[in-house]
Amino acid sequence: MRIDALLLSLFRSLVYAFLLAPIVIVVLASLNAGNFLTFPPQGLSLRWFWTFLDNDVFIDAIVYSATLAAGATAVSLVVGTMAALYFVRHARQKAELVRLGVLLPLILPEILTAIALLFFFYEIGIGTEHQIALFTGHVLMTLPFVFLNVSTSLQGRDNAMELAARTLGASRYTAFRRITLPLIAPGVAAGGVFAFIISFDTFGISFILKGAGSAPLPIQLYDYLRFNFTPEAAAVSTVSIILTLVLVTLADLLFARNPDA
Amino acid sequence: MTEVSLRSLVKRYGKTEALKGISLHVRHGEFVSLLGPSGCGKSTTLKCIAGFEEVSGGQILFDERDISRKLPEDRDIGMVFQSYALFPHMTVAQNLAFGLEMRRVPKVEIAERIARAMDMVQLSAHAERYPKALSGGQQQRVALARALVIEPAILLLDEPLANLDAKLRDEMRGFIRDLQKRVGITTLYVTHDQGEAMTMSDRVVVMFDGQIAQAASPEEIYDHPTSERVARFVGNANILDLAVSPRGDGQLDLVLPGGHLLRVERPACGAGGGMRVMARPEQIALTEPAAGQIGGRVAKRYFSGRHVEYHVETDVGPVVVVAPTTHAVREGEAVGLRFDPQRLWPVPSAEAPAEGRE
Repeated sequence: MRIDALLLSLFRSLVYAFLLAPIVIVVLASLNAGNFLTFPPQGLSLRWFWTFLDNDVFIDAIVYSATLAAGATAVSLVVGTMAALYFVRHARQKAELVRLGVLLPLILPEILTAIALLFFFYEIGIGTEHQIALFTGHVLMTLPFVFLNVSTSLQGRDNAMELAARTLGASRYTAFRRITLPLIAPGVAAGGVFAFIISFDTFGISFILKGAGSAPLPIQLYDYLRFNFTPEAAAVSTVSIILTLVLVTLADLLFARNPDA
Repeated sequence: MTEVSLRSLVKRYGKTEALKGISLHVRHGEFVSLLGPSGCGKSTTLKCIAGFEEVSGGQILFDERDISRKLPEDRDIGMVFQSYALFPHMTVAQNLAFGLEMRRVPKVEIAERIARAMDMVQLSAHAERYPKALSGGQQQRVALARALVIEPAILLLDEPLANLDAKLRDEMRGFIRDLQKRVGITTLYVTHDQGEAMTMSDRVVVMFDGQIAQAASPEEIYDHPTSERVARFVGNANILDLAVSPRGDGQLDLVLPGGHLLRVERPACGAGGGMRVMARPEQIALTEPAAGQIGGRVAKRYFSGRHVEYHVETDVGPVVVVAPTTHAVREGEAVGLRFDPQRLWPVPSAEAPAEGRE
């Protein structure tokens, strides 16, 4: 028994180490005082953070990525919630088809979705201009996460509450806004957080569909690392890790304690 | 004052016909139960009246207004659901206020009407609680109050007692019935529990296979079912194959195997076709073997506290008799059975296709 418990906790530690070590190393590397991206760091300093803050390219990229993520999340929240409502309440025998359709971007390799979109947008004459292709790609990538979270919170709730609201005089829309939406809010919020992070982080779609002009952060970082190997890249990563953590924690505080979650 | 009329209501789901032409008139203030096994169409009927399902044919009238194409929110109905369907993120008072807010009732009046409704269901102390903090029976009463506070034209109840335990269910039966009488609202009640339907209703509508088999008072349904199927569904029934010969004066002669002749009223429904005879278990008397109209032997005896149920093997097949516990007949004993001709009721046999319809 004791050996089993010991082995289990050892295994657990290894899993955590495997998951967290890269993050820890990136954060430590960003505190490097030296000129090159090395580990262990040669002395501790915040100088690369200051360099990064002075570097318009990265600041622009972060702002651009955040804007893109916010836009994609907003669209995904609306479309994904509607899709989830249809899937859970009305699709009946078509349900599996609907689910598969919405989840396809998650199931297919990202690069395939990206290439398919690229062909499509060139075929209809838009190409990568006006960031339409990029934005569409980000919506497609984030949609499954909203859809999954919202449909999970809808499932197991029969629609009697909405029907009750209807008999009490509420229109379909009012019933949704006053009854259904508050009840699935935790799922919608979780879906939104996921969507934002996925969009902020996604590489393949951005890499292939990015037009001329500013690029999302992951692309900018990749470009930078091809020619420079300084701890600034680690500093940028650390900042985006912290941003993500803040976002997740906030969402957790706001919604995880909701008694109806 | 609202009367409900269903006129040849038809509901199709693809190729299957869930309702095959339901016609029913519910008078003002009447409490009508729709009773039947699952899949008989009783819930579908209610959904059509509420507006949750579009009707495929026929009409639904509230008084003389055809509401069958209206949205649920425009029909002026109060509905209580099996799951109560209280809004979990609102307090009891907010649940009650919802319908009034939708009707743009002034705030002051809302408060008054909520207070009155809470009082009506004896829950005034719980206005600020959330539904989760209430017991099943209390939630049920909140659901009733929420449906009634908007003063709807009609009240629809969809198996509202199915989720309560047996003792509470009996209590709520009386509570709902009293409340309905006090408010005087036209009420349609869907249930698969014949005990509920019988004790609560002014009229019971028995449904099978998307059709009304019989619509009548509980007494009429119990004593004078128009078909073997209704007889078997409502209460326990012995259905006996006896030789039936019609007489000229509107009566029937039944001949028992021992040669006894029973003369019974001929029911209106059974013109032509085969007839069988229904005898309710508690309407058969258990006697000494010599004193009975037919003889038999007790095969099984079940004591239930309130009465004893005997399964008797006779010449006309197995017969169930319910007797007071003062009888002490043991399994295997020979007994006689006496029928009261007044209480025997001929029904068209199940093979005969004609089922009574209103």
